[in-house]
Amino acid sequence: MTTTKIKGAMVAAGLAASLMIGGAGPSLADEVTLRMAVPDWPPTRIMKKFFDEQYKPKSGNAVKLEVDFIPWPDFYTRVNASLTSGERKYNFIVSDSQWLGAFVEGGYFRKVNDLLDADPEFKKTFMDIHPSLLNAYSTYPYKSQNYYGFPQFPDVLVTYARKDIVCDETEQKNFLAKYKKKLACTGEEIDAMTWDDFRNVGEFLRRRKGEMLAGKPAEDDFYGIAFQAGKGYDFSSMQVNGFVWQMGGDIWDETKVPKGQAQGVVNSPAAVKALEKYLSLLEYMPPVAKTGTMDIFKTDELFREGKVAMNVNWIGLGEASLDPKISRVSDKLVFGMMPGTMGPDGKMVRWSNIGGQPFVLTTWTTDAQIKEAVEFVKWWLSSPIQHQFAAAGGQSGIKSVYSDPKYVTYRPWNRTWAPSLDWQNDVWHVPQFFELLTQQQDQFDRAITGKQNAKTTLDNIAKFQQNLLSEAGLIK
Amino acid sequence: MSVMPPVPVPSLRTSPTLLEISADNWRLASLVGVVVSALAVAALPADVAFWIVGVMVALVAAAFVVNAYRRRYYGGLLVSPAIAVLFAMNIFPLLWSLGLSFFAYQSNRQSIWFVGLNNYIKVLTNDIAAADNWHALINTGMFVVLTVSAQMTVGFMLAMLFAKQFPLRKYLLILVLTPMMLSVVASGVFFTYYYDPTFGVLSYVINSIAGGQFILMDSKAGAVAGIVFADAWMWSPFVMLLVLAGLVSVPKYLYEAAAIDRVSAWRRFWTITFPYIRGLLMLALLFRTIEAFKLADLVILLTKGGNDTMTISYHLIRIANEQNKTSEGAAISYIMLFMVIVLTNLYLYLANRRTRES
Repeated sequence: MTTTKIKGAMVAAGLAASLMIGGAGPSLADEVTLRMAVPDWPPTRIMKKFFDEQYKPKSGNAVKLEVDFIPWPDFYTRVNASLTSGERKYNFIVSDSQWLGAFVEGGYFRKVNDLLDADPEFKKTFMDIHPSLLNAYSTYPYKSQNYYGFPQFPDVLVTYARKDIVCDETEQKNFLAKYKKKLACTGEEIDAMTWDDFRNVGEFLRRRKGEMLAGKPAEDDFYGIAFQAGKGYDFSSMQVNGFVWQMGGDIWDETKVPKGQAQGVVNSPAAVKALEKYLSLLEYMPPVAKTGTMDIFKTDELFREGKVAMNVNWIGLGEASLDPKISRVSDKLVFGMMPGTMGPDGKMVRWSNIGGQPFVLTTWTTDAQIKEAVEFVKWWLSSPIQHQFAAAGGQSGIKSVYSDPKYVTYRPWNRTWAPSLDWQNDVWHVPQFFELLTQQQDQFDRAITGKQNAKTTLDNIAKFQQNLLSEAGLIK
Repeated sequence: MSVMPPVPVPSLRTSPTLLEISADNWRLASLVGVVVSALAVAALPADVAFWIVGVMVALVAAAFVVNAYRRRYYGGLLVSPAIAVLFAMNIFPLLWSLGLSFFAYQSNRQSIWFVGLNNYIKVLTNDIAAADNWHALINTGMFVVLTVSAQMTVGFMLAMLFAKQFPLRKYLLILVLTPMMLSVVASGVFFTYYYDPTFGVLSYVINSIAGGQFILMDSKAGAVAGIVFADAWMWSPFVMLLVLAGLVSVPKYLYEAAAIDRVSAWRRFWTITFPYIRGLLMLALLFRTIEAFKLADLVILLTKGGNDTMTISYHLIRIANEQNKTSEGAAISYIMLFMVIVLTNLYLYLANRRTRES
């Protein structure tokens, strides 16, 4: 054997030995990937950014968060198709709270009670979530003790207002003369507005192009108020429900299954009156309201383009209104709570439909993934991260976070956050949610476009719901 | 003179018996495939059974291919990939969905049971479900008549215009064809803003001339007009292209002879031009009718079915996709398919009868 061959054999043997030693040793870290389906908008982008920049798993594993950012209009379709096709692609899914029933019954969303019970620290954080949010985002059946989701971006309806218009001296003086009441100008004054006050603003601030508005001729037709009144998805139900609850009516109450009825409840006189109130405000809104296409994105656009003085919309759309690149009113904004209804006892009733989304675990997530998923959720719900999220434009449902005095300084609407939370209700979590919603939206659209009155609308909805829910065994 | 010896022709193999193990025994492969698939579906979890059935399908297909090769069925062998693709992508899903329409099945539930014709009875007669279906169907019929009439008229007139030579014709033709090449979503968003009463050009112009507040989409008539206009804007160029192809194929000498005979313009059109474009007009009518029957995209983008513009296709999307009522959706689909087939055959019958008469 030549020297070269001997050297070669030694190198090979050394290499083999080192490979064997390396291979036989314990692996230091596993790679765990969590796949998540989320709507593509700032709150989920921020979450991903925070994860990539800050998250360090306690386990020492290499945890990756792979996120599919899906545009909002396609979100339900894509998630629904992914779940029902059986592809089992995602471990986490951002879900509208109302989808819980359909996807829990389908066997896709994982109950997390066992994970909470196994980790007291986790449970403590979880139970620090405001009860309205906890019930809406996590429970199925609604308000039960069966938990499924964690808040990703909690949301409520608030009033956006143009202070350059509503605080204008001339407008203030003329409004006071006409209605014997001050035109709401500060956040606190907007908080105190009832729907009647909101109507007055709508009537008062409606101006034709060229008429004087806040000391200048209006560049275009201008409108006092706006809120969602669209046929798509839930873009009228979310607003109508608030009117119904505030005025003493109710929707079909799933917490009263099987005794709770739809007939006589959904179309009760109080509910009819509430819907009439909702419809009566449409005449003071931009003309697109008459077409049935004034959804939350349209009212947001109208507001940012400076066509409306006050707009009731989700906080989730607020960041855009603050951005001078896409908002003509970014430096003229003041925010207050959504208008309420004065109760017989003289106290304001503020019931509203909750917005926002939880994220949920799927049933096929493996034990190793679940372990990391729990750590990730604990990190996400931890106080420092929730504070950072709120400072970046998100909202927190954790009491200890939103109760912190710093919280209201993060965004101009945060002042309304905590007081609004106690007044949040949610719509049906039942598997029949989409049937209930689409029929109701169809009927509301007929009322919004002037084809039928409030009574007929609610009678039709009540009849449909009674039939559907009786067939499903939810009404007996 | 020499005589060439005959080329020996290899004798064709005889077919193997049913139980003979041979690569070309398609009968045995089929038998094994059916039995194994049935057992797998019955006894194994769905995700495992799926792959076993897939392997069995591949086995049977391979046996057919070997059999065809050995017995020189080259024609069949050459078309078999196309047939396989057609079966996998078209016929199988069609049969599968037909089967589903006889079951109670929702894609987000784990249960399924046979209900016979109940889904068909429900979608046609149930006092709540059927009313919406029939209403959407009537709306669809209205859109078929209006959109196809508009497209045929505008397309035909455009074709007559572009059949003549005039300055900038080439560039104008490209411009006219552009809407057809745009995505429906882009066109829908464009028309959303075009009709918007606050930001839209249409309301702005009419308000400037007539004063007041013009809102096109605030009534059923306006919403239907908006959708029909948008659809005609997109698809009239398609009709124009087909008709134009017929117009340019008319021999010039026929017109020259007609001119010598001082034939009137109407008679010239009716006896020379029309026979050349009739077939293409029928084809355009057929294509556009089938497409109009499936109208959903523009409705979703412009009205979301509001203002009483719900069509059967959009209604179907909501039932099958949003509400996950798969079987009910399948039943509606097959009723739609039946209607389209009847309509198509009626057209073809009329077209053939006219051809025979002429």
